[in-house]
Amino acid sequence: MASTQKRLIPAWLWAGVAVIALAAALALFTMDRRSPPGASFAFNVSDYARISPKDVLFRETQRIAVNVPHPRAMAAARDGSLFVGGENAVLALDAEGKEQARFAVEGTPECMAVSPDGKLLLAWRNHVEVWDARGTRLSVWPDLGERACLTSIAADDKHVFVADAGNRVVLRYDPDGKLLGRIGEADPARNIPGLNVPSPYLDVAFDAMGSLWVVNPGKHGLENYRPDGDLLSSWYRPGMDLAGFCGCCNPIHIAFLSDGSVVTAEKGLSRIKLYGPDTTLSGVVATPEGLQAPETQALAYDADPPVKEVAVDARGRVLVLHQPLCAIFVFEKTDDMAPK
Amino acid sequence: MEQESKFGRRDFIRVAATAAAAGAAWAAAHPSSGTTVWQLDPAKCLQCGRCSTTCVLNPSAVKCVHSFEICGYCDLCGGYLQPGAKARDSGAENELCPVGALKRTFVEEPFYQYTIDEELCVGCGKCVKGCAVFGNGSLYLQVKHDVCVGCNECSIARNCPANAFQRVPVRNSYLLKTRENGGKGHK
Repeated sequence: MASTQKRLIPAWLWAGVAVIALAAALALFTMDRRSPPGASFAFNVSDYARISPKDVLFRETQRIAVNVPHPRAMAAARDGSLFVGGENAVLALDAEGKEQARFAVEGTPECMAVSPDGKLLLAWRNHVEVWDARGTRLSVWPDLGERACLTSIAADDKHVFVADAGNRVVLRYDPDGKLLGRIGEADPARNIPGLNVPSPYLDVAFDAMGSLWVVNPGKHGLENYRPDGDLLSSWYRPGMDLAGFCGCCNPIHIAFLSDGSVVTAEKGLSRIKLYGPDTTLSGVVATPEGLQAPETQALAYDADPPVKEVAVDARGRVLVLHQPLCAIFVFEKTDDMAPK
Repeated sequence: MEQESKFGRRDFIRVAATAAAAGAAWAAAHPSSGTTVWQLDPAKCLQCGRCSTTCVLNPSAVKCVHSFEICGYCDLCGGYLQPGAKARDSGAENELCPVGALKRTFVEEPFYQYTIDEELCVGCGKCVKGCAVFGNGSLYLQVKHDVCVGCNECSIARNCPANAFQRVPVRNSYLLKTRENGGKGHK
């Protein structure tokens, strides 16, 4: 006998419920399960990179293209000429950036300096070579071993100072390559704290008076030494503000102006600043935006620092070697900051 | 009279069993190159935080890992300390990690070692960003394959704004940062 009893819930309603249940299930499986992370999980570092335009004292006036792959080392000579070392080559440029000469080298020099008599001192990871400006190798200094990591070199009439980040020491040589002493090693009796070098960045430079300054990157400051290794003075400025050096190890490069001011380059937040002779912040030479690496790098912060060297040339211009762009950025003080 | 050498049924079974065992061992040691798993390329990672919220697992299968050979063992660690922390110690108010998963151990003056408690880590990448911006970039995120359930279509990969998730061979299932690869996570 056929059933003629009427259903309590009509079929169309069952179908509707089924469609809603199916849609809900699909939504649950396809949408993000959880709400976005709360404020405590957010970390916005852009505030630290922001610099007010009124703090910027310099402007970029020239960008010199460097025709060598992976430029890594740069030096300014007293006569105004520039030298740049990159992969398998060293370039000599005039003050305007025009290439005057180039010569081949083996590998990529990590750093370089021009001695007062015009010789080129090129440092590789674990040894120094002396070349003349025409590209003749004059001498090769002894290998410093596997642990060495040479990162900076500076020369005056009597000495050559070589920063070895691997051994956390600055080596003092005579111009012929004879090792005379070690600077910066911890010595409580001489009140020397010791160089703290968490990453391969250790820079040396002479100030306008010819006195040696060494960066102590782990202590976020600079130390001034006599050639015999006595510590004359120091200043440290760890901090997240513009006047401070942030991160694990900064500054990474320094150079001095003739008035005793010091130019500092930082990694992480790539920026270049100027400190007066009294160690107070004068202002900014280059902002993180101005030094940004090409867009091909997804994470600008997690890359090698784009700035490989800073120098001050004979005209007082600040030169910045930018590796990703294969260029030297030339910065000059803005007009209203020019000496009156 | 010279005895004729015979290769009997017993010998055949021995050789076959040996070949099968060797083949099984080789297959176990060398999974098919076509077998792949999801992994995060640290060179592309933006530390957006979505790994912690879009994984089908809670907490996420993405964890922070540490390359000790790249680490500077710094006292002032950008991955461990809040920017502007009042003290360089393990006080909760000074720690950057919201779940306290990054541990700090004194080694010798002035060096500290940093390790990750994977049970606590939620893969938010906050410490990774701090380390990348202010340090050497030794902290980075990876999919932990002992936790990952191996979804066919990874939920995080679908939401990753940097397209940093990719299929990698199971035999090289981690993209580790080393000095040799320049801290990029791959050759």
